[in-house]
Amino acid sequence: MSDWIAIGALAAVGLLIPIGMMTVSALLRPSVPETGKSTTYESGETPTGGTRIRFNIQYYMVALLFVVFDIETVLLFPWAVIYRPAIEAGVPMTDLLWPMLTFVGILAIGLGWAWRTGAVEWARSSRAASRKTERDINT
Amino acid sequence: MVDAFAYVPAVVLLPFFSFLVALGAGKYLPKGGAFGGIAATAGSFLLSLWIATAVAGGRAYNETLYTWAAGDQFELTFGALIDPLSALMLVIVTLVALLVHVFSLGYMNDEGETGLPRYYAGLGLFTASMLGFVVADNLLMAFMFFELVGLCSYLLIGFHFREPGPPSAAKKAFLVTRFGDYFFLVGVVAVFATFGTAAFAGEGSFPALAEAALAGSGDVWTPGGLELQTWLTVVGLLVLGGVVGKSAQFPLHTWLPDAMEGPTPVSALIHAATMVAAGVYLVARMYGFYALTPTTLAVIAFIGGFTALFAATMGVVKDELKQVLAYSTISQYGYMMLALGAGGYVAAVFHLTTHAFFKALLFLGAGSVIIAMHHNEDMWDMGGLKSRMPVTYYTFLAGSLALAGIFPFAGFWSKDEILYEALVHGLNEPLLLGGYVMGLLAVPVTAFYTFRMVFLTFHGEPRTDLAADPEPVRWNVKGPLTVLGSLAVVTGFINMVPVQKVLGLEGIDYLHRWLDNEWGGIEGLSSHHYADLGPYSSGYIAGGEVPTVLVGAAVSLGLALAGLGLAWRLYNVTSPTEHTAKLGGIKDVLYNNYYLDELQVWIAYRTEDIAGGADTFDQGIIDGVVNGVSSVSLLGGSRVRRIQTGLVTQYAAMLTLGLIALLVLLGVNGGWFL
Amino acid sequence: MSSVAPAWSALSPALLLGLTGLALLLVDTIRPNERSNTSMAVVSALGALASLSVTVWFVIAGTGHADTGGAITLLEGAVKVDTMSLFFTAIFASVTALVVVAAHDYFHDHQRPAAFYSLTLFAATGMALLAVANSLAIVFVALEMVSLPSYALVAFLKKNRGSVEAGLKYFLIGALSSAVFLFGISLVYAATGSLIFGEVAGQIESLDTLSGVAGIGIVMIVGGVAFKTASVPFHFWAPEAYEGAPAPVSAFLSSASKAAGFVVAFRVFTEAFPLGASLAADINWVLAFGVLAAVTMTLGNFAAAVQEEVKRMLAYSSIGHAGYALIGLAALSAGSAGNEAVMGAAMAHLLVYGFMNTGAFLFVAMAERWGIGRTFEDYAGLARRAPVACTAMAVFMFSLAGLPPFAGFFSKYFLFMGAIENGFLWLAGLGAVNSVVSLYYYSRVVRAMFLDDPATPSALDAIDVRPTALYAAVVFAAVATVLLLPGFGPVIEAAEAAAAALF
Repeated sequence: MSDWIAIGALAAVGLLIPIGMMTVSALLRPSVPETGKSTTYESGETPTGGTRIRFNIQYYMVALLFVVFDIETVLLFPWAVIYRPAIEAGVPMTDLLWPMLTFVGILAIGLGWAWRTGAVEWARSSRAASRKTERDINT
Repeated sequence: MVDAFAYVPAVVLLPFFSFLVALGAGKYLPKGGAFGGIAATAGSFLLSLWIATAVAGGRAYNETLYTWAAGDQFELTFGALIDPLSALMLVIVTLVALLVHVFSLGYMNDEGETGLPRYYAGLGLFTASMLGFVVADNLLMAFMFFELVGLCSYLLIGFHFREPGPPSAAKKAFLVTRFGDYFFLVGVVAVFATFGTAAFAGEGSFPALAEAALAGSGDVWTPGGLELQTWLTVVGLLVLGGVVGKSAQFPLHTWLPDAMEGPTPVSALIHAATMVAAGVYLVARMYGFYALTPTTLAVIAFIGGFTALFAATMGVVKDELKQVLAYSTISQYGYMMLALGAGGYVAAVFHLTTHAFFKALLFLGAGSVIIAMHHNEDMWDMGGLKSRMPVTYYTFLAGSLALAGIFPFAGFWSKDEILYEALVHGLNEPLLLGGYVMGLLAVPVTAFYTFRMVFLTFHGEPRTDLAADPEPVRWNVKGPLTVLGSLAVVTGFINMVPVQKVLGLEGIDYLHRWLDNEWGGIEGLSSHHYADLGPYSSGYIAGGEVPTVLVGAAVSLGLALAGLGLAWRLYNVTSPTEHTAKLGGIKDVLYNNYYLDELQVWIAYRTEDIAGGADTFDQGIIDGVVNGVSSVSLLGGSRVRRIQTGLVTQYAAMLTLGLIALLVLLGVNGGWFL
Repeated sequence: MSSVAPAWSALSPALLLGLTGLALLLVDTIRPNERSNTSMAVVSALGALASLSVTVWFVIAGTGHADTGGAITLLEGAVKVDTMSLFFTAIFASVTALVVVAAHDYFHDHQRPAAFYSLTLFAATGMALLAVANSLAIVFVALEMVSLPSYALVAFLKKNRGSVEAGLKYFLIGALSSAVFLFGISLVYAATGSLIFGEVAGQIESLDTLSGVAGIGIVMIVGGVAFKTASVPFHFWAPEAYEGAPAPVSAFLSSASKAAGFVVAFRVFTEAFPLGASLAADINWVLAFGVLAAVTMTLGNFAAAVQEEVKRMLAYSSIGHAGYALIGLAALSAGSAGNEAVMGAAMAHLLVYGFMNTGAFLFVAMAERWGIGRTFEDYAGLARRAPVACTAMAVFMFSLAGLPPFAGFFSKYFLFMGAIENGFLWLAGLGAVNSVVSLYYYSRVVRAMFLDDPATPSALDAIDVRPTALYAAVVFAAVATVLLLPGFGPVIEAAEAAAAALF
């Protein structure tokens, strides 16, 4: 019972401090609104266009493929680290090698399929192409 | 010698075969299967006579023939019970059925009716059912054949189903009698529950058990610790419901006049001589049970007396031949009920017998007139038929004299005995005396309307061209009329109790002796036994039995003659006129049958309202589980639909809230947070 | 036979499914522009059937059964092959076979159908893996292995807004549920220090002060299971995913995927959190399942009653059926001998449901293939043009409603009877009331097909093709639904044997 009271107290304090700080500053500060203060902050740049623009799906495809390799690395790295000590400890090489080869093989099939079906080809969508040509004309 | 009783099933089955033949092959047979029906009923008649002879030879028959369901508590069986009562009834039914079949040749075949196989099949099935009812040895079997009889009645009333009237009349007859039969059915169940048997006769029969139980030597079940006498009265009244419906007693009599929509031979057979008699016969059959409960007897007597008078008054104003006869039928069955209620078992059976003959005669005579008049039934269009169809006239006159109760025709003897029984027993019983008075008052009314009918139809001058030149009828009409006409004259002589009492001639009350098992019968089913059981004691007026007999007979005969005389004065003129205007306001009431049809319709509608209420209950509450759930589910479903907004953020929110609710529930339940 | 063959061969049903999927991908990689829908369908169907036959052979040979040396455990106890896992693998393989056969006609004009077949087979592999999982980690991985292809399958019609939207919603809710589930696993691990079911069970009894932590973890695992089985309140994805997805996918998700959720629940909650120990630790998960079952079947059935579209009605009805099957977990009581009967009945219900619900969705697939519309009205008079398929659909509907001559009645009957005998009359009663409600909307379909007249005489002219494979799948499902009737004795015995292995 007592443990939970402590946690509850912590949560209460955790809420009280930021709320209290914001309340105090809201009471103390002068209010001088001007345009520069209310514009969207975009890393110091002047904001252009709307906030809701669409990104090409291709970005996500690449990101997904990256995840494939990411996971592969996460598993490959510890496997590589223990590989030599395990060989030296007398574990048969097939027991060590086959699981990882299967794993990489499955991933490779998936990657190959994605590749063949055009996941890594950068799209030549008509809209992207037209925008590019427009830009070329403008410059 | 071959045992006559071995042929009891054949009596029932012969007409049934004729039904099957007419149904299956009727259209290939000459006369639409009529000859098969005639042969079958003739065979049944001869067998019945043989059986009656066997009973006269001092024997009786009470056997279970077939057990169709056997349980721990009771068995459901078919059987045959032949005693003097059923033997007599067998003879009556088969004879009338035979004559009606013959008459139908003239009424249906010669008139070129279509659908004859259906007609003869209906007649055959009816005869078979009625005979099955007559020989039934237990109440359940009786009930089943009772229902079959009702079904045949429905089929035959609605024979001309393409016209508007007959189907509706058939429906009415079916529904009204069915209403009574519901009580009967409950009564059958009650009898089974009380006694564990429904047998009519023998040691273990239910009248015998009831008698023993009332004497304190038996043990029978009564519901809810009800007193035995009360419960037996209730059971008796329940069964009486079926009787009141079938025998067209007040207040369930309304179907019978409408049933005249059926072909006239059917009216003669079913709605006068036999089926309507089934109710009375049933009371007579289990009279040993009714005799134990004075209240039931009083109710029977009062209903009977009231119906006798009540129906007679309505007959006074009818214009159509068959309508008059219909109301007279209701009235006459009222007399029989009065007799049964008054303890006059023999008198009731006597009247049943004579009435079967003279009423069949009257209906067939009416049928003959209807043939002659080309199916015009309005008496005001007739007149003067006397000279043009003498056979019909004289036989019809014999029947009318019997109906009116004029000495020495059959109806006089039987009606006089009924009134006598009611009088001598009623002197100590006010309710019974009321029945007697009403029965007595009905006598002149009966005589009046009967002879109004006779005079309007046969006397005076022909009032239409049709009546001046009627179509001739053939032997197949005249034959049955002659047979029945003779019977209407002589049947009364089988039971001349007044003559016996006045003149002291012993042994001429044959029917009394017959029903008292003098020749043979079954122990416990004798009129003597019933008289012992019955609650009545006899009282006499004018100082003794003989004067009472004489006074009673004189009064009833005098009243009948008075009614006849009035009819003579009013209607036996060259060109009679309607005198109904003299009745004033009563006329409308009588024309409209005391507005009882309207009352029944009103009750039916109220019943419908109640049924509607029950329906609402059923729809609303019973079906609520189904329909209600469905509407709730539709309502709840649309709520659910509102939850399913389509916004995935809300889904996530609700999912999380649901999980938290589950967490809190289990956490509190398991005390995790403490 | 387990003494002869290497132990890993016990996993061959799952392996067969996975290898088939890989082979399909490989073929598609080598010849990506070859549109070989038929051969793809045939190969995947053969793979699924091979897996099914191996499973059935294992069941008959008694692999993993107590008579032949007990359950086979692999990978340090993380995988366990027993009768129940085989029972469910049989369900998964049958449904997969039906779905891929039906998909042949559904995707007859699709550009790249290969992905569909391989995704289906991968999901089936995940399900087969779920059935043998004996560790919470394997459970999670296998669950994701089912879920991820499922998301893609729901959104498989890329040009169809409904399909894509449904896929996205399914994915978002799925991600949330997976997170909840994973958090639950981590809490259970925190409290017990193990992921292997048997070891978790050993620790549950001696939790002491940590019972709250384990309890929250278990409720979260309940949440994950509820997501997979589409139970309230984790059901929100189901109506839209089922409606938006291609109908064969709906069939696959609502039958096989649901069954996969249940196999996890059955195993986890009997082996990792045994009832007696859980109750001793004040973790009354039976109550949680009771609440879920009651709410799920009521909400599912009542919502189904107001739907206008047949597919959406089926979606809600499948939620309702999840509620019935949850009775198998809700109507348990510690130490009761009736537990096996209840859980066995729930398993049998899932098997029967696998056929009848798949068949019903495949019928909808056929209607979509014909293009006659989605509402009840659009189905009016269909029986005149497609009597065989409509008869099969009527069989599914009546069986789903639980009318006596069909297998659906028996499974439901055993389920409710088991619940009553175990003292959960209220659950059985609620289930019966809900069955009455369900009769209303199931019979609407039958009435529309057989009794109603089409809105216009030309309304049914769209039926101009006879998709043979779809027909075959529908009819086969109907035949199976009917044949389970005489075969119900063995089915319920197998199911009860499977359940008995758990207690």
